Amino acid sequence: MNYTRQEMMAIATGREIRDGELAIFGVGLSMLAGFFAKAHHAPRVRAITEAGIFGATPIGGLPWGVECNRISADAVSFTNAIDALGVLVASGRCDVGIIGAAQLDKFGNVNTTGIWDGDIGPTYRPPRVRLTGSGGANDIAVGCKRYVIMAAHDKKRFVERVDYISSPGYLEGGNARSRYPFPGSGPSAIVTTLGVLRPDPVTKEFLLDGYYAFSSPDEVRAHTGWPLRYSPKLSVVPEPSDAELAALRHVDETGMLRRS
Amino acid sequence: MAHKLLSLSEAVRRFSWDGMQYSSGAALPIGADALVFGREMVRAGRRDVHALFHCNSQQLNLLCAADVIGKAECGFSGLEGFGFANGLRRAVESGRVVLEDYSNLSMGLRFLAGALNWPFALATTNIGSDLQYRSAFAPEDYPSRSKIPGVVDPFTGNRYGALSPLRPDVAVVHVTMADPEGNAIILGTEWSRYELSRAAKSLVLVADFIVRTECMRQYPNLVRIPGVIVDAVVYWPFSAWPQASPGVHDGDEAHMRFMNQALATEAGYAEYRERFIDGYRTRAQFRALIGEENVERLTNGPTRFLMDPYRRWIVSEAEIEALEA
Repeated sequence: MNYTRQEMMAIATGREIRDGELAIFGVGLSMLAGFFAKAHHAPRVRAITEAGIFGATPIGGLPWGVECNRISADAVSFTNAIDALGVLVASGRCDVGIIGAAQLDKFGNVNTTGIWDGDIGPTYRPPRVRLTGSGGANDIAVGCKRYVIMAAHDKKRFVERVDYISSPGYLEGGNARSRYPFPGSGPSAIVTTLGVLRPDPVTKEFLLDGYYAFSSPDEVRAHTGWPLRYSPKLSVVPEPSDAELAALRHVDETGMLRRS
Repeated sequence: MAHKLLSLSEAVRRFSWDGMQYSSGAALPIGADALVFGREMVRAGRRDVHALFHCNSQQLNLLCAADVIGKAECGFSGLEGFGFANGLRRAVESGRVVLEDYSNLSMGLRFLAGALNWPFALATTNIGSDLQYRSAFAPEDYPSRSKIPGVVDPFTGNRYGALSPLRPDVAVVHVTMADPEGNAIILGTEWSRYELSRAAKSLVLVADFIVRTECMRQYPNLVRIPGVIVDAVVYWPFSAWPQASPGVHDGDEAHMRFMNQALATEAGYAEYRERFIDGYRTRAQFRALIGEENVERLTNGPTRFLMDPYRRWIVSEAEIEALEA
């Protein structure tokens, strides 16, 4: 295998982005996947960051944040949080977003706030492990027409029920999300280091839709904390092409995805 | 000439106190934020401060480690590519700091509501998640009816949420350049500095450069903070270090890691305080602490050209010192 699991995840995520779309990328893996798409098959993707930085392609390596000088050095417009996350995202105008997850469940609800080791209970208490909070992810999950969740695949992360919903997916499943007047229609895919999950059109439960050349449906199931079901369309995800790998490695010039 | 220049220590003496509601802007985790004001607050021994930070920054991380903060509200509590904020994390996990969570859009809207003197801002996001249902400030109130209470759209009948307005006692806002009267230009994202500067009861600017007012008259569209709303201007180059100031200097990656590592333990914090808080008094000493070679390297980054149109109006150190005297 001439690529890493992380690279496969980034490429599979990038394949979800279509040319010409208005897209918002977060820091780290999600920005790599997004700018890979731009470098490979979506040259006209209109990428923004939640800091309100427009028209930029990173210079000198992967940005350390959504406001990093590596992205500020190449911008055509600087605006602000309300413009990026409110006017363009929460309004429902943005086509696609990419967010990460420390913990997620079978309905695509994401926790990035803290680990409580189960139910918080009726009274709020400090988490055992404090994470980063929502940032703009909640706004992206509510506002973007669709969004992709990226996460390393392990049992601790893929749980039956998240401790805390930082960013709503399909809540309790079915049409639960329609209780709220959200402009966005919810997560369209969960792309992991082992495969790609997509929601059942009716129950909104995430099903295994694709596994990688190096993984197997059984392996994905073994690393998932709920009884993972398979999509009727389950198939192997095409391996990265030479062109895809070259484009990704050009974006990931500091080799962040090749370390492990 | 009427000017608002104030030394950093005097600004901290006048504009900070125990138990205050303190906001920093932009409060970005790796970008513009006037960390030096927080360092000085630590030195002044401030306690029980209620922080209203759009996002965590190394400043809030430090203030949490230094036991300056009692309560905090923010939209993001990490350090982006530099990982979790160890000082904040320790303080929140131990219960020493009570942290109320919102999203990044909500924090901006709450400042806007404060600026407009609105009773609330409309939440179209955050509703339906634990950002709405869980309140660290009212832990028994579950599902919370006090944090982001439901409101009904009178036109459609749809249910949304109400975000409480923020009106901090003081906002300290990092700007790239200010004239002596407080007219200011920001390079890089504004984030929420427009709303925050209008929401705060008092406003202190911390500027990398002092420029002549002619600069503002040349680019009035870029002056998003006019002097009429500013109470004081502090001149302090590299105030954001080790974070970045677009157009002026890059982030100092080694010190970003070093500082966050230090804040992970009490002993690490104590050592950090000795060297990087108690270890300087003047701007020159602060610069020496960063290191001359490091300063040279960080100021030659890819955004340096952004500052070029404005350099002809920069006021010299000697002139600034004369004004400060």
